[in-house]
Amino acid sequence: MALSVAKAISAKGKGFKPRITVFHCVSALTDASVLDSSGCDIQVVKMPCGIATREVFLLRALESGADAVVALVCPEGQCRHLQGNIRAAKRVARMKKLVDEIGLDGRRLNLFNISRGDAQAAERAIKQTASDVASLGPNPAA
Amino acid sequence: MSGSRLQQILSRGEFAVTAEAGPPRGANLEAVRRKGALLKDYVDAVNVTDNQTAIVRMCSMAACAHLHQMGIDPVLQMVTRDRNRIALQSDLMGAYSLGIRNVLCLSGDHQTFGSQPDAMNVFDIDSMNLAHAVKTMRDEGKDMSGFSLDAAPQFFVGAAENPFGDPFEYRVMRLAKKVAAGADFIQTQCVFDVKRFKDWMRQAHEQGLTEKVHILAGITPLKSARMAKYMATKVPGMRVPEQVLKRIEGVPKEKAAEEGLKMCLETIQEVRAISGVHGIHIMAVEWEEKVPELVKAAGLYPRPKVA
Amino acid sequence: MIVAEQKPIAEIKDIVAPYSRLLVLGCGTCVKTCFAGGEDEVATMASALRLAFKKDGKSIKVEELTVERQCEDEFIQQAAPCVARNHAVLSLACGVGVQMVASRFTRIPVLPGVNTTFMGQLEKPGLFVERCLGCGDCILDDFAGICPMSRCSKKLLNGPCGGSQNGKCEVSPDIDCAWQTIIERFKAFGQMDRLTRYYPPRNWSRSYAGGPRKLVREDHMV
Repeated sequence: MALSVAKAISAKGKGFKPRITVFHCVSALTDASVLDSSGCDIQVVKMPCGIATREVFLLRALESGADAVVALVCPEGQCRHLQGNIRAAKRVARMKKLVDEIGLDGRRLNLFNISRGDAQAAERAIKQTASDVASLGPNPAA
Repeated sequence: MSGSRLQQILSRGEFAVTAEAGPPRGANLEAVRRKGALLKDYVDAVNVTDNQTAIVRMCSMAACAHLHQMGIDPVLQMVTRDRNRIALQSDLMGAYSLGIRNVLCLSGDHQTFGSQPDAMNVFDIDSMNLAHAVKTMRDEGKDMSGFSLDAAPQFFVGAAENPFGDPFEYRVMRLAKKVAAGADFIQTQCVFDVKRFKDWMRQAHEQGLTEKVHILAGITPLKSARMAKYMATKVPGMRVPEQVLKRIEGVPKEKAAEEGLKMCLETIQEVRAISGVHGIHIMAVEWEEKVPELVKAAGLYPRPKVA
Repeated sequence: MIVAEQKPIAEIKDIVAPYSRLLVLGCGTCVKTCFAGGEDEVATMASALRLAFKKDGKSIKVEELTVERQCEDEFIQQAAPCVARNHAVLSLACGVGVQMVASRFTRIPVLPGVNTTFMGQLEKPGLFVERCLGCGDCILDDFAGICPMSRCSKKLLNGPCGGSQNGKCEVSPDIDCAWQTIIERFKAFGQMDRLTRYYPPRNWSRSYAGGPRKLVREDHMV
């Protein structure tokens, strides 16, 4: 997986290192340093709960130069605050649609459900995002 | 008094037969005449729909006038969806001047069902208000503002009622209201659920309404199993019982129309036996050519003569 | 409250395209409650527009401001310095707000960012429903508190029509039949007899049909 991502990145060429902003619930991902090995430029924003995923923050991350934005929240039914993850998913879905409508490609925006402490799942989420972004290229509005 | 053939038949206590004819989607006069010629000797009056299902067609008044010229007694259907009270009253006067003597007051299918759902609707008044206005014109000679008219139209006033809509317990109450508002005759929604229709008629009879208003049961021959399914699921307020669906689905496709007519004849016999039913109103949607056969087979031909 | 929804972003992009400095002006009252034009929506709209134009290689400066109410001049005046710096205002208020802002700032285009849809209520989170037409002559007392003007698709005074089945309107199974509700409520009151009365045509002259309306309160004029 890691190899293929690296390949994809180099195929797009010219040293494109995707910049990914990660909003994560502290219950879903306890230690964000596990993401360092992804080979991407990662910006991390810690949230006390998925509920703190605000629509405007997702867009502002893109405005600030992110090539992709990822929200990592707890699986459904496992939110400590009942519905934070569900609401986060709805907001991300709405913004994905908006980002699509403005022609930036909604695939730059994704949400993943991560079980508490499942660092590997978090890594996989980032790698998948990196691979998607590699095919999309840099954020044209950055 | 109104010169309506339908009214004469009904007031003589004879069993009336009316049929519905949809005008063409265009200015084709021949299409109107063709339907008129087909129905003329087999029914007492012909209803002309008013942009039915909110699909634009030749106006009911013009088509009625053409039928009148052919010696047919037309029933002008009028919906309150498309015209405000000013236009409706003006049309009533114009229609009467053209020889039209019956009017059926309706609210109309909502325009979202039609071919031009972007249209604005009117609904300035409702069907009951319209019936009341037509009656007031006739009985008091006045328009809705109270102005005394120069030769007030003397219409025989009709209204529709759906014994199958909800809430059921209110349906007869609403019939009473329509009668009080001015309806002389009622044409009902298509009867497939005879049991429920009987129940509704019994309540109407108990409340003394069957002596005050002529009720004509709506009759529609089913052409195919597909049509039955469509009626059952897609037409608002229509009730098609399971056994009716099963029966038409149970015959081979090429025999379905024949079976449909057979079922229709049975329904006619059943409703004729109900006390207070003074006639039938045949709505053979785009199947008007079957009406003569149906009327004959039901033993309702020839139609009585009127002076 | 007045319920509104944001216009599609493509339409807004077209509307604001001629301007390089834009103020997105929110309203903190009705449109905030229905998530169309409060502070959060202003921020999202501004950000989306910046992204959209930047992607196309066009530079646009978008400023954000939300006032308490765009339908009252005393709140709009706070926007004056912001308005002065910009070439156009995209108002996320209802049609009243848009026009109120436009009437104060006569030299700058004030553009609508939302479609004002109806006067309604929040039935449950995320669901707003129409409840009043503003007909100018309230008749709720005659209809058990259920408005047949705004809640019956055919505005029937002597309903229900024949299309009502299982308590739903013929227009859509998502619409409750107003008349079913009226009848149920009168039944609960033990006042079914009220439904036997013929209800005469309405006087529409007090509604929008009578031309643009005004309310005059002499006691408040000095």
